Amino acid sequence: MKLKEYLKLNKISNKEFSKLIGITPVSLSRYISGERIPEKEIVLKIFEFTHGSVSPDDFYFQKKNTQEFNSDQLTLINQMSKQLKNGSKRALAKTITLVESKLKKDKLLVQKIFEKFKVNNNTVRIGITGVPGVGKSTFIESLGLFLIQKSHKVAVLAIDPSSKESGGSILGDKTRMEKLSINPLAFIRPSPSDGHLGGVAKKTHESILCLEEAGYDIIFVETMGVGQAETAVYDMVDIFLVLLLPSGGDELQGIKKGIIELADLIIVNKADNDLKKAAEITQREYRNAIQITGKPRKDHEIDVLMCSSLKSEGFNEIWDFVLNFVNKQKKNKKFYENRESQKTKWMWNSVSNNVNEIISNEIVRNKFILKIKEKVKNKNINIFQASELIIDYFIKNKF
Amino acid sequence: MSDQEYKDWLNSAEKELKDRGIEDLNWQTPEGIEVKPLYTVDDIKNLNHKIGFPGIPPFTRGPRATMYANRPWTIRQYAGFSTAEESNKFYKEGLKNGVMGLSVAFDLATHRGYDSDHPRVVADVGNAGVAIDSVEDMNTLFNGIPLEKMSVSMTMNGAVIPVLACFVASGLNQGCPEEKLTGTIQNDILKEFMVRNTFIFPPKPSMRIVADIIEYTSKKLPRFNSISISGYHMQEAGANQVQELAYTLADGKEYVDAALKRGLDIDDFAPRLSFFWSIGMNFFMEIAKMRAARFMWSEIIKKYKPKNNKSLALRTHCQTSGVSLVEQDAYNNIVRTTIEAMAAVMGGTQSLHTNSFDEALALPTPFSARIARNTQLIIAEETGISNVIDPLAGSYYLESLTSDMIREANNLIKEIDDAGGMVKAIEMGIPKMRIEESSAKKQARIDSDEETIVGVNKYKPTEKQNINILSIDNDQVRAKQISNLNKLKKSRNNKIVEDFLKKIEQAANDESQNLLEVCIQAAKNKCTVGEMTTAMENVFGRHTLSTKTISGVYSKTAKKNEKITSINTYIDKFVEAKGRRPRMLVVKMGQDGHDRGAKLIATAFSDLGFDVDVGPLFQTPAEAAIQAIENDVHVIGVSTLAAGHKTLVPLLIKSLKENDASEIKVICGGVIPPQDYDFLHELGVSKVFGPGTNIQEAAIDIINLI
Ligand code: B12
Ligand SMILES: Nc1nc2c(ncn2[C@@H]2O[C@H](COP(=O)(O)OP(=O)(O)OP(=O)(O)O)[C@@H](O)[C@H]2O)c(=O)[nH]1
Ligand SMILES: [Mg+2]
Repeated sequence: MKLKEYLKLNKISNKEFSKLIGITPVSLSRYISGERIPEKEIVLKIFEFTHGSVSPDDFYFQKKNTQEFNSDQLTLINQMSKQLKNGSKRALAKTITLVESKLKKDKLLVQKIFEKFKVNNNTVRIGITGVPGVGKSTFIESLGLFLIQKSHKVAVLAIDPSSKESGGSILGDKTRMEKLSINPLAFIRPSPSDGHLGGVAKKTHESILCLEEAGYDIIFVETMGVGQAETAVYDMVDIFLVLLLPSGGDELQGIKKGIIELADLIIVNKADNDLKKAAEITQREYRNAIQITGKPRKDHEIDVLMCSSLKSEGFNEIWDFVLNFVNKQKKNKKFYENRESQKTKWMWNSVSNNVNEIISNEIVRNKFILKIKEKVKNKNINIFQASELIIDYFIKNKF
Repeated sequence: MSDQEYKDWLNSAEKELKDRGIEDLNWQTPEGIEVKPLYTVDDIKNLNHKIGFPGIPPFTRGPRATMYANRPWTIRQYAGFSTAEESNKFYKEGLKNGVMGLSVAFDLATHRGYDSDHPRVVADVGNAGVAIDSVEDMNTLFNGIPLEKMSVSMTMNGAVIPVLACFVASGLNQGCPEEKLTGTIQNDILKEFMVRNTFIFPPKPSMRIVADIIEYTSKKLPRFNSISISGYHMQEAGANQVQELAYTLADGKEYVDAALKRGLDIDDFAPRLSFFWSIGMNFFMEIAKMRAARFMWSEIIKKYKPKNNKSLALRTHCQTSGVSLVEQDAYNNIVRTTIEAMAAVMGGTQSLHTNSFDEALALPTPFSARIARNTQLIIAEETGISNVIDPLAGSYYLESLTSDMIREANNLIKEIDDAGGMVKAIEMGIPKMRIEESSAKKQARIDSDEETIVGVNKYKPTEKQNINILSIDNDQVRAKQISNLNKLKKSRNNKIVEDFLKKIEQAANDESQNLLEVCIQAAKNKCTVGEMTTAMENVFGRHTLSTKTISGVYSKTAKKNEKITSINTYIDKFVEAKGRRPRMLVVKMGQDGHDRGAKLIATAFSDLGFDVDVGPLFQTPAEAAIQAIENDVHVIGVSTLAAGHKTLVPLLIKSLKENDASEIKVICGGVIPPQDYDFLHELGVSKVFGPGTNIQEAAIDIINLI
């Protein structure tokens, strides 16, 4: 809670309080008005005196709200927006970096840049998933080149897993999109998943907006075929493709059933050379399976198609399917509804992310919470009481 | 040996060890073999192999009955640089001074089937080998060297058909008929996909080419080794000795099957298959490997029921390990090479290359090449070692180790067989992954001082040594090659050339034709290496490698130490200040296919907490710049080993500037002679990391830099 509120609530005068923590009333009023940010020690003192009610964040948060961009920053923002609009790859890349940044100041910059964006419903956002090695990158490479020939501008966001242990990552997708990555009409950006998958979703969604602003009208999002990343991606694209290997009879290929259920289109890749037969069998099996598992979603018929990404075969059919799908969705307005509802979804995503972040920062530092932990440990209170107290505390002091 | 004696020994040993048990002295080799401190007669009672006699199956003791007692091994130094003229001079100098057979190193443009005027090879012409564009260059290369008498080994795999065709055509020009040509063509494409990276076409057509060559040589060049099945490059890329052994034999099986499918009889070609090992610092392990290989190969071939015993005998070339040689305190390398050469000789090699002490700096100078050559001459002529055949046979330790290696290698071969053979295993990336793991482990051991390299992580020299190096003006070589190419294209009959190129395309489309046969005619009529390659490429396509990277191996092997902890805090601080992890793009530009260092840097840095982007092999500087910009990295890490840095790095920096991205930092690593550091720094390169770089220290430097 803000210091001003705290003093009012507890009926403490400015003079009294300034004496208590050993500063002049003048400085205190400056702190209260937000004109100045107190030194770290003083912030901590206030934190202690108010038993955690007025936390460091209250001061810094204040700063954020009242912050105005200085003229340098404003020129930067204007410049970036303009360059972005003109399709500068450098500006686009830097904006995506800002989107991905953990710094508050960068997040604010991004918001400012976003203010200038216009709604653009002429793009197609395509999610691609499948087990490692199924050929997602190769598929995007070939389909991407195919679309560039049809005078589209193609962008790819690839999400690579970060190591749990070190936090680092290896981003190698471009090596598998060799021709696309050097095509001037394509833009490929691999990003580390960086631990929390929800985070990926939010950043990726914002990155999509940047790509569209820069003139890319086909956006691919590639994820590894494991974990919850798929559902996150599902929630930010217009059409969701699942790639399968020609297994020729083997059951579900390590890919979770749930993911198949998200698919708008299933594609059996590598239908070439000695795998062609196996691909046909897989196609037939999945076509059968789909009829049994029942209801098509989004009012449309799911299909199973085949392709060879290596030989660029089968793309006419696939692209017809995608266009058909999008047109139908636009006709019955689902397309727009979907994009709208996705926006709210990722807003909530972002909210719950931030909330989680606040909580996890707090529980390791906050004296009040540490005290409660201690009490639980010593069996002074039980877990239910403890969680009630903590939630109460957060509601009163943090949110 | 009496049990009592053994007990007595054990007793006194344990006394010397005080409170430690004898097992404490066991040594776990990187291959996973447990080596004991003492071997006895008991250890050779149940061997996996037969020791036997030299010159008769199973050939464990050597492919010839008299071995060096009658004739020493062939001193065959791998060499080639600049133009054909320059290399020709170098060969003649060597031949005057004890070299007995030639071994041609081609430049990377030739390896990858590009003529010297191709835009993708601006940094590669004449740099890491000799530039050969056509039969005319080949004529110059062997000018004054009668091919009728000289055995010539050629390391060529990607552009193997055009280059072998030029060689045969050049022999014919000298008046040497095909059947009199002696030597070896490497022609081992499988390990290119695995570790050496000078492939051109996809695996399938590449295997057809291998078979075409085996078939043609078995009929027309009976004294020529049609293939040199190479483990050498695997060990150099990081494989341990068991991996080298197993994967090479597995490759061999694949080639035999391909030739048999052609309808050849095993005895038509098996006697002309040859092998190639790397010999590193683990002395006994290397000797054991060579003996194990001979035994295992004879077992493998036996299954094909040959009638000629020669089909069962494994003949091999060896090269001392380049990767065991370091930049720091470089004269130590002479000692290392000597030890390795001894192992190759005790292992019974048929020919040998010894490396020069400036290996980690550049191509050898006449001075360093001379010492390398003399190392062999001294062993051959001053030590008496060559008077006795297979002198270590019967050694308890050696025979037991040989037997252990056979067991371990057979396990690995089984893994490959289970995957459906080597071609399948390579498609799945199995051997490559295993080798990269082994390379990452080794680096982690060195970086955390568990493995000693004198002069690098222990007993470091206090003074800088200045070592003269060979430096090649590749712009000049390229200009010369291009002007020769232009002359050639003006002087030849281009109508005939066109016809031949069409014929090559037809042959590529028609498996019943032999591509080598067609290309020999084309080469005679002055089609260039690049043109012949393009004709085949039109049908086969050019292969790109799908790069896979391993993770977690480096950090698991490296011991936690204060360096690693401080990297962690550095990175945390970095994230707090900049909002994201340090992000580095590791690039390989030009035709330089040395990717061991780049892969290692990528996996180790990500294990240390960096976000690492990996570029594909063979990027141009402009492509690398674009990737850096799109991914918005903090720094580009150029890994360069084939001497292209002086051409490529300036182009990269120029590209960054043109794209308004000069704030992206550039650093370089790899084989860069100290003489070039200033040049790079002046260009704007922030830091250079040479061979022997400790990755953990480099990580700290880089975080500080960005
Ligand atoms: C291993 C090796 C090979 C292997 C490569 C396997 C592979 N997949 O990488 C094989 C046997 C296949 C090979 C083949 C050839 N090789 Co070679 N090879 C070497 C050797 C012996 C070691 C290189 C190595 O991998 N070292 C181990 C790694 C871990 O070290 P590193 O790459 O130096 O990386 C360290 C540092 O440099 C630094 N670093 C490197 N990159 C980066 C990047 C960043 C960002 C950072 C921070 C740090 C950093 O950190 C690393 C860790 O310490 C060197 C000589 C030597 N001792 O250096 C010759 C050498 C590089 N090869 C050479 C040549 C000529 C060739 C061939 C062209 C020969 C030919 N004509 O056919 C072929 C062609 C290969 C190709 N496709 O390009 C020459 C190059 C000559 C020159 N520069 O003038 C050398 C120098 C040998 C010599 N003196 O003649 N080679
Ligand atoms: N035969 C054949 N091989 C293919 C095809 N598509 C991809 N591949 C091969 O399959 C392997 C994996 O392809 P990638 O595109 O890297 O697969 P991915 O799904 O992106 O892999 P991850 O990013 O690691 O999850 C590569 O060796 C490709 O060459 C295809 O259509 N046919
Ligand atoms: Mg991929």
